[in-house]
Amino acid sequence: MDHTKLKKRPAFPFETIGVAVAFSPRLEAMLNEAKHYADAFKSQVVLIHIGEKDQLKEETLETLVTNIGFIKSKLRIIWMQGDPTDTILQLCKLNMVDLLLLGALEKENLYKYYVGSIARNICRRAKCSVMLMVHPQVAPKRFKKMVIHGVDNLKSVHTLNTALYFSRTEKIKELTVVQELDIPAFMLTTADSTTNSEANKIKKEMVEEETQKLQSMIDGVDKQDVEIHLKTVSGKPGYAISNYARTKSYDLLVINSPDTPLGLFDRIFTHDIEYILADLPCNLLMVHSRV
Amino acid sequence: MGKLTHQEFISLLLAMGAMLFFARLAAEGARLLKLPVVTGEILVGVLLGPSFLGHLYPTLFAKTFPLFGEVGVALDGITKISAVLLLFVSGMELQMQLLVKQGRAAVTTSLLSLVIPFLLGFSLAYYLPGSFEYIPNDGLLFALFMGTAMSISALPVIAKTLMDLNMLKSKVGMIIIAAAMFDDLIGWLVFSLIISLLGKGREVSLVLLDVSVIIGYGILMLTIGKKLIDKSLPWIQKKLSWPGGVLSLALSFCFFSAAFTEYLGIHAVLGAFIAGIAVGDSVKLNTKAREIIHQFVTNIFAPLFFVSIGIKINFIAHFDASVTLIIFLLASLGKITGATLGARAGLFPWRESVAIGFGLNARGAMEIILGTLALQVGLINETIFVALVIMAIVTSIASGPVLRWLGTGRESVVTRY
Repeated sequence: MDHTKLKKRPAFPFETIGVAVAFSPRLEAMLNEAKHYADAFKSQVVLIHIGEKDQLKEETLETLVTNIGFIKSKLRIIWMQGDPTDTILQLCKLNMVDLLLLGALEKENLYKYYVGSIARNICRRAKCSVMLMVHPQVAPKRFKKMVIHGVDNLKSVHTLNTALYFSRTEKIKELTVVQELDIPAFMLTTADSTTNSEANKIKKEMVEEETQKLQSMIDGVDKQDVEIHLKTVSGKPGYAISNYARTKSYDLLVINSPDTPLGLFDRIFTHDIEYILADLPCNLLMVHSRV
Repeated sequence: MGKLTHQEFISLLLAMGAMLFFARLAAEGARLLKLPVVTGEILVGVLLGPSFLGHLYPTLFAKTFPLFGEVGVALDGITKISAVLLLFVSGMELQMQLLVKQGRAAVTTSLLSLVIPFLLGFSLAYYLPGSFEYIPNDGLLFALFMGTAMSISALPVIAKTLMDLNMLKSKVGMIIIAAAMFDDLIGWLVFSLIISLLGKGREVSLVLLDVSVIIGYGILMLTIGKKLIDKSLPWIQKKLSWPGGVLSLALSFCFFSAAFTEYLGIHAVLGAFIAGIAVGDSVKLNTKAREIIHQFVTNIFAPLFFVSIGIKINFIAHFDASVTLIIFLLASLGKITGATLGARAGLFPWRESVAIGFGLNARGAMEIILGTLALQVGLINETIFVALVIMAIVTSIASGPVLRWLGTGRESVVTRY
């Protein structure tokens, strides 16, 4: 494959879907989800297992693949040994994976939070879009509600377009773009020298300014028949949208990929994405726009 | 145990009442004139203190603000607690992620706006301490302090100036805020190290031990401490009385942390600052609770602290024009040059880089707190302290008009993610 094409390759269509295969109780569900998306997006599937290859594993996977009904001509299975995170990331690059599906627990304990689980570590460094599935189903259900992180960032328009592509394919009716209002040092600034109405006015003006920017981005994309709602929530970026997605029971949260790989510093001085990864509110689609 | 007599208690109450009353009047005046509130508070202290009231009516001054004896001790305690609380709320607003989000320009601006003024301040104080008309007991610590004093910024004043100019969320504004946060953090860490080294030897092992303790405590609080806060806050806010529960527990956490660092021989303010970062960084802290803590500290303890400065120090007797001019020039030259070059290195155009330089030059409350603590521990004398306060006020007042004059940088920021 010509790997130079990976750079600036659009975030969608999802021509190749990668699936990280772990021989856990959720394997069958993950494979069923992969089949569902492969059919929906007409994609090739690459199943990746990092670990020793033995007869039992091979037979188990073969049986599941056959039973689920994967089209063999559009399926590749890769067995590899090595560091799971590094190897999966490398294989995704080599195979030009557009979307990597990973099973993930909703929450991590303190040790795992700082050391990092495989799924989360992949998200922190991936060069392709990643979907973390918290509740993969043996009989996959279509998502009904999708929420998109409306960040003022150059990549957000690609994320929005990818979300629209996803929603059209999956026929998702409810799509909401959420922007977060967090004004640095606002309270320190207003606590002793601003009246209540002045503080509210400043806040309102800032919300209006941010809303206008986001609205013009939404107006600029091809929505077709999808209706997009715009919502503003207050709070720390990342946490506020995560909390919103959880409270409103969204099925899928769509966010930008980080601009630079996330490290330990981003967990100590928490990065927006780390708030989401720490306690996944629902399934997560992290769009890597490759710009 | 010494205790306040009936008369002393009345004096204390009158003093506090007068300080808060006049500070509020001055704050409202400053607000109308679009000046930093701290300017009004300092001015009230100077007018009520030995510089004016004490000079014109010494008996009235001595009766209203008895600085010696039990009332003096009580007022000193209140001032110290105020400093601890002020650092706590400053820590609460610190968002180090902002630095990363703003990218290269924020990093270069933060570093150069810290390093260049530090080197200027350190070099002059170390090699030519006579410029400050002061013979320090410990030349190295004095030089380290002057370096720190030149490099620190004042987030509250800077943020207010940017907000008034509608630049808070602009590209220039966010770089200034991110750099101010970084400079404050490093400034307080270095100051804590200086305090911990006071009266100790210069062995490398001792210095390394103190550095490790400061960094280790910070990391512990920002990892395990923060997680514990995240776990307990929802319960506190839901089950305990509102807002009393969260308010008293947050402040008790601040005092415990301050007591711990004071016990370690580092200053209490560092413990409060780190506790503030840990509490403020918690996403579980209710916005209303955050607001109440800010209101409580900023409107009660901040005025008491800033007014008390003018009440204790005779600004006229200790004013030295040459020392003040040197400190002002040194601080401004270092900060403006450092921040401007940093912003240029971050690929900002010259005009915007200069705006960032002037924006970061405001020192305000943080410089005054730093100077007060240094004066308390004998690192500097009253003359240098007065010069630092004047420099802090002048740079704070000047930054707004200069930014307005430069008239740049209102375009919005595109955040990194």
